[in-house]
Amino acid sequence: MNIATATADTGTTVLEAIKAGMSDAMDADSDVILMGEDVGLAGGIFRTSTGLHQRFGSKRVIDTPLDEKGIVAHGIGLALYGLKPIVEIQFSGFIHDAFEHIMFCAARYRWASGGQYSCPMVIRAPSFGGIKGGFWHSQSVEAYFVHHGGMKILCPSTPEDAYRMMLAAVQDPDPVLLIEPVPLYRSMSAKFEMDGKAATIGEAKVTRTGSDVTVVTYGPIQYEVEKAAEELATTKGYDVEIIDLRTLIPYDMDTILASVKKTGRVITVHEAPLSMGFGAELAAVIQEKAFGYLHTPIQRVAAPDVPYHFSIGDEYYRPNARRIRLAIERTMEFEF
Amino acid sequence: MPSRTPTTKGRKTKTREQEKLPVCPLQNAAANNIRQVMDAEGKLTGDLPDPDIPPEKLLHMYETMVMVRAIDDRGWLLQRSGRVEFWIPHCGLEAVHNGATLAYEDPDWIFMGYRHPGVMLMRGVPLVQLFAQFFGRADEPFKGRRLPTLMGDRRYNIVPMTTQVGSYIPHVCGAAMGALIKGHDTKFLAIFGDGSSSRGEFHSGMNFAGVHKPPVVFICENNGWAISTPQSLQTGSATFAEKGDAYGVRNLVVDGNDALAVYSVVKEARDLGPDEGATLIEAMTYRMGYHTSSDNPDLYREQAEVDAWAAWDPLIRLRKYMERKKLWNKKKEDALWARCKEEISAAIKEAEAMDFPHPSTMFDDTFEEMTWMLEEQKAALLADLEDLS
Repeated sequence: MNIATATADTGTTVLEAIKAGMSDAMDADSDVILMGEDVGLAGGIFRTSTGLHQRFGSKRVIDTPLDEKGIVAHGIGLALYGLKPIVEIQFSGFIHDAFEHIMFCAARYRWASGGQYSCPMVIRAPSFGGIKGGFWHSQSVEAYFVHHGGMKILCPSTPEDAYRMMLAAVQDPDPVLLIEPVPLYRSMSAKFEMDGKAATIGEAKVTRTGSDVTVVTYGPIQYEVEKAAEELATTKGYDVEIIDLRTLIPYDMDTILASVKKTGRVITVHEAPLSMGFGAELAAVIQEKAFGYLHTPIQRVAAPDVPYHFSIGDEYYRPNARRIRLAIERTMEFEF
Repeated sequence: MPSRTPTTKGRKTKTREQEKLPVCPLQNAAANNIRQVMDAEGKLTGDLPDPDIPPEKLLHMYETMVMVRAIDDRGWLLQRSGRVEFWIPHCGLEAVHNGATLAYEDPDWIFMGYRHPGVMLMRGVPLVQLFAQFFGRADEPFKGRRLPTLMGDRRYNIVPMTTQVGSYIPHVCGAAMGALIKGHDTKFLAIFGDGSSSRGEFHSGMNFAGVHKPPVVFICENNGWAISTPQSLQTGSATFAEKGDAYGVRNLVVDGNDALAVYSVVKEARDLGPDEGATLIEAMTYRMGYHTSSDNPDLYREQAEVDAWAAWDPLIRLRKYMERKKLWNKKKEDALWARCKEEISAAIKEAEAMDFPHPSTMFDDTFEEMTWMLEEQKAALLADLEDLS
């Protein structure tokens, strides 16, 4: 796996993996369509769908009016009728206009119709900071969408996960919010076989094995966690275990608990704001289920509860390796 | 009209403007460009031609309209006596949804609102199923989860509305786009209210419909009031229909208390060719009753306006039309009402005897396969029930 060195030799970028995932899903099932702003000839503003319009035609790759609410809501109609729409929101910062349709229509149709109808669809939400995007273009919106059931939430952070999770999302019988890692689109590549195999939803991955402290994270910020872990292994000999959640709903509690029971120390890291963030839920559930194993309080590393700052946000708003390192040191050196 | 229409008792002194007696706009249908088949007496006006609906279909529609009115009468009493929690009246609106449903074929998809029980009955849904829904019982399609009158049933191609009014306008448009993509000739109908036209979803749906030309008829049921908000506070447009012009969506206004006119214009729009796209039909009608059982129209509207509309009652007009055609008479009318009331009583008895859903079923159907989080919450509820017992 290579960060910021994507070339033909180093394999497939995240962006190419997402495109391949969509393309393979559309090849496998003629009910799969892609819909969104500028997804056709332009290939999407990030070029994640370049060539798909030429390949599948304007009936299956649909340029829509500029209307996030309309894109998701029409996707719901398509799903009700039996198609499997992949709908693209250009930036997750724009997704809130569609909130009612995502949470109260798509995620509830199965329940509210007594199981008669369902809305299997994929909502693509390019997210995260580090791209000098300011608020709207660097947002982490996942906490708004995790409050009630009915929708799965996936967050791939490697090319292989991006490819396999796209396939899993399309095949899933429920609506899926696919949180895509914008900062990794072109900066990360890896070699893997694009064999049409879908990821298993709900499985986290231990990306670094350690015995001293567990860092539970997801999204591109996990590479800052890796940097911090690497540094601390050298400077202080701390043995950090890192868990990439990969799925937020339903998250993999078994993997988290197995790690917590081993290390006795937990830090959650995400780049969404701190209060009521996903880390808060993890902290609550971990203490409910593994209180007796904890040697130290659970710490959360997150962004502050303010908008993503444009000029200094990437350095001071978004968590980074330095802040994560300090958090790990505080946990490791905690005294009652 | 039933006696529950609001009275003017205790109303404060009227302004000069309010002294003018309200006139039902249907009275000047031609001048107002409202399409009509018959007048208040069931006589042909010469505007739209008599659709000459075959007697069997016509009677089915009329009988359903009467049943719908009888259900409203009884639903109101059930709510006031505490046997249903909530009631959404539909008195006066029978011509719109029954006329429109008659214009559609059974495989077509209908997205209905909450004042349209006739859609269910026209398609053959058993009456007891409606009452089981009103009473929130387990053995109805939605397992007691939805407010009374928020109905639908996939087995009859009737899609349950998402409860936020108007939210389903883009859903029906998307579903119809789906039929186009799949090359099916399924047709689509959606009925929503005048207030819904102010929501962003109306814009989204019309905008996509203008671009993609899906086979949908959107009926904007202009019943005069969105709770307490009249048309003049809802929009600056002279009509709701003309909003279609801005989107490139064919549109017209129809007399919504004239079941024959509704049937005629909806049928024509439904049968349009594959490239002719959607139609927005504004059906001018009037909500004779309250908004819901939690509303009091005395606070915002005049009895004189209600009275003006009562003279254009959709049931009376259609009955008179059928009497002219020698298809109907007083004896049949009396027998029909007696039968409707009896069937309703029997359905209530049967539905009230049904079980409520088991509390643990609230977790079902959230996902196709329950997540571990829901499994844990369900186990906690079951433990709580154990403790209760």
